[in-house]
Amino acid sequence: MRILAYLAKRLVFVIPQLLGIVLVSFLLVKSIPGDPAVLMLGPTATPSAIAALREQLGLDQPLYMQFLIYVRNLLHGDLGTSWQTTRPVLEDLLQRFPATLELVTFSLLLAILVGVTLGVYAARNPRGWVARVSDLYGLSAGALPDFWFALVLIFVFYTVLGWAPAPLGRIDMIVIPPIPVTGILTIDALLAGDPEAFWSACSHLALPVLTLGLLNAGPILKITQSTMETMLESDFSRYEVLCGVPQNLVVRHALRNALPSIVTIISVLYGFLIGGAVLVEIVFSWGGAGQYAVQGVLNSDIYPVLGFVLFSAIFSLIVYIAVDLVYFLLDPRISN
Amino acid sequence: MGAAEVISKTENVSGDAGKAPLIDIRNLRITFPSGGAEPKTVLKGINLSVQPGEIVGLVGESGAGKTTLARSILGVPPAPGRIAAGEVHFEGRQILSLSEAELRRLRGRRLSVVVPNPRAELNPLRKVGDQIASMAKIHLNVSRKEARRMALQMLRDVQIPDPERRMDAYPHELSGGMAQRVVIAMALICNPAFVISDDATSGLDVTVQAQILALLAKLAAEHGSAMLFITRDVGITAHFCDRIAVLFSGEIVEIAPREALFLEPAHPYTLMLLAAFSHSPKLRDSWSVPETARRRELAAGCQYADRCPIAQAVCRTHRPPFAEVSPGHFARCHFPVRHA
Amino acid sequence: MTSKLGLLLRLAVIRPRFAIGYLIVITMTLLAIFAPVIAPYSPTEADSASFLQPPSAAHLFGTDNVGMDIFSRSIYAPRIDLTIAILGTLLSAVVGSSIGAVVGFYSSGRGIRVWLSFAIMRAADVLQAFPVFVFAIALVASLGQSIQTVVLAIAFVNAPIYLRLMRSQVLTIRSMRYVEASQVNGLSDMQTIMRHVIPNAMAPVLAQLSVNIGWGILLTAALSFVGAGVRAPTPEWGSMIAMGFQNVVTGQWWPSMFPGAMLAITVFGFSLVGASIEVVADPAKRRQLLSEARERTARTADAPVREG
Repeated sequence: MRILAYLAKRLVFVIPQLLGIVLVSFLLVKSIPGDPAVLMLGPTATPSAIAALREQLGLDQPLYMQFLIYVRNLLHGDLGTSWQTTRPVLEDLLQRFPATLELVTFSLLLAILVGVTLGVYAARNPRGWVARVSDLYGLSAGALPDFWFALVLIFVFYTVLGWAPAPLGRIDMIVIPPIPVTGILTIDALLAGDPEAFWSACSHLALPVLTLGLLNAGPILKITQSTMETMLESDFSRYEVLCGVPQNLVVRHALRNALPSIVTIISVLYGFLIGGAVLVEIVFSWGGAGQYAVQGVLNSDIYPVLGFVLFSAIFSLIVYIAVDLVYFLLDPRISN
Repeated sequence: MGAAEVISKTENVSGDAGKAPLIDIRNLRITFPSGGAEPKTVLKGINLSVQPGEIVGLVGESGAGKTTLARSILGVPPAPGRIAAGEVHFEGRQILSLSEAELRRLRGRRLSVVVPNPRAELNPLRKVGDQIASMAKIHLNVSRKEARRMALQMLRDVQIPDPERRMDAYPHELSGGMAQRVVIAMALICNPAFVISDDATSGLDVTVQAQILALLAKLAAEHGSAMLFITRDVGITAHFCDRIAVLFSGEIVEIAPREALFLEPAHPYTLMLLAAFSHSPKLRDSWSVPETARRRELAAGCQYADRCPIAQAVCRTHRPPFAEVSPGHFARCHFPVRHA
Repeated sequence: MTSKLGLLLRLAVIRPRFAIGYLIVITMTLLAIFAPVIAPYSPTEADSASFLQPPSAAHLFGTDNVGMDIFSRSIYAPRIDLTIAILGTLLSAVVGSSIGAVVGFYSSGRGIRVWLSFAIMRAADVLQAFPVFVFAIALVASLGQSIQTVVLAIAFVNAPIYLRLMRSQVLTIRSMRYVEASQVNGLSDMQTIMRHVIPNAMAPVLAQLSVNIGWGILLTAALSFVGAGVRAPTPEWGSMIAMGFQNVVTGQWWPSMFPGAMLAITVFGFSLVGASIEVVADPAKRRQLLSEARERTARTADAPVREG
């Protein structure tokens, strides 16, 4: 029950924020020069046809009416239509979002693996070489441009070594993609029992996941290290040492106590990566939601951009709520 | 020079010279790195031994080095302290020279500690039943089920009401007294030969303190454990300690059997301690040292000289010997108090 | 402030990596200033006879696919990248901190001021909830593609950071005794800010500035990489990487690798400088480092004495 009350309170704060996000992005995208009606009909269109389309799209209405119409449509699940793909934005996004989600999720898993492992080792011995290396790693990972690091990986693993497939999409062109169920290729391939598609999808994931995973492990590493240091210096860890608890177990218990902070940074990173993966998506022609949004911006196609911003905001929201639930599981003190 | 002749051959003092002591602390020196090049010595060569089954009290004001001593005996001085010199012989081995793994197997198993402020010391995210049971599981190599059974029995032994339910309680759900009982259960579940109680009841109400101390003494006797009972409150030691040592500024200034210490204290500091506790609570305030006085450490003379009402010139220049004033009763003073 | 500068210098000795950070930042600045003197070729003129030449004595970093000298372009690039990033970051710091300071003072007042500060904070929440890159690219698209727009985008994206930083500084400092006293003594809010808030907020803001300049460079390069920032042939690291993109896949690595490495090193330098300022600003970290240094000097100093 307490959880429900907590979540309700959270929603009360979040809904105005969502509205704000939609409003700002609406205004922003609306101010992009270029008339969608002209762009849709092409240069040969007659003025009357343009006027008709403008009316149909609601573009002749005052700005606030356009916004209200957009919000009303949103509530009906209508995110507008992209003039580039001439398809409803919702359909486009539902098709592309899983690609982004797959990439980002695997990258995050790698980042957690690297960040938490290094962070725990560094905290166990704050003056040892692992701590020094992770310090430097944290600083340099944040400094590397991901789109360039992706190129370096492509050069080494595709051009020179030939281990990785060409950076052109999510699956080899000659491999028939599995029937979409979740939209996440690796899972769909497993569901379809198609090992060839599965391996193809995995090999295409390797380099972009390596790029995003390695470069985003920094914040997780930093938080893990500092929280673990605090936990290992805390009274209860010292008491466990006094009680003769083996060091591995002391570290494991400390990690358990450090989890809330680590989970928090992971959730923030998850939300950030949905939008932050755009450049890597572009480098690898990933066809994800971020790439779709950038195309939208560059071509005055407003609804895809709005839709993407909305999708990523809602996604972050879901992640944060999930994290709140995780807190309840992790810390018995919260429920009091 | 007369006093110097009274120096005992060995400063190693035990209650009964005939038996081999269970634990024998020899010349333990702990230093802390300080801002300057010279580290600060927090324990200045502690000699202390405890016989099997014996309860030794150790009394000292805050800052005297009590907790440092408790933890250093277990080989883990509080950070950033360092064991600069000394040996701790326990069950025939010099345990400070053992490997970390061997020492770890002793801690909690043969040598255990009851800590103060247990609600901070217990892991807030683990059920107390699990924390107690894991001691048995780690050290006695018993099954999970057996460990839980033992933990439940220990909760009964430490007289926690409704022990079955408390097994699944988290530390924050316990009162201070109950948490203290949990820590005692953890310290005793493996039947250790030696228990260190480090100011274990300092945070509790007076009535609860008395109950817990009685329980601790009773359980230690039942488990056949010897005990080093560290406290700020000299009054407590009168009830159940066999011998009492007085720690001042990182060294033991007096050690004596209980009766001797209370009836014939030899060191002026001990006398002052007893006076403060027996007569007036107001005197307790004078017990805490002003910060400036505490910082000042005499390199050569008696540590207590600055506060001592009967200090002479020699007290500031020469370190007094640890002299035997009566059998088994030693004091580090140039002018021990004589009792008619 | 001079003592803090001295501290920074001592830190550079204790942690060589901080010295490296300063070295990088200074080198890049000098390169930007003296690029016309150092560069062997024009950064924008193509020699179509020698395109995609690998690195050689004549072309240190090789040439790109239209025959421009990559070394010359790479050392001209900080002129544009650094300028954009520094301007954008300074703008965000000035605007963000001013609003933050005002919000900090208003948030405990009464009436419309509280509402205003509340609204501003929620607006900052909204801004920070956006995917940074998509937001920046949308800004560029709506305001038109130009260098000024990139500056604005950087300022917009970072402003909430300074807003929060300054607000919390004001709130902490306001709660302290001596500010209350100075208000009793009749100092105006403005005077309080000048006298108490700004000196205290200096170090954290500076640390943040350095880090954000690094991010600003990254954002400029990223926008240019997708074609929404600085356009070729203006020498700029991000657009250079984009120009060499296809060549990398076919094996000519130099057009992308060299500008990318320069970009990465520069951002790295700024984060190191930021980290060093952070250490100076954080009393706990400062103490730890200095005691470490003392230990080290003590060890080397008294080693021979002990033997004697």
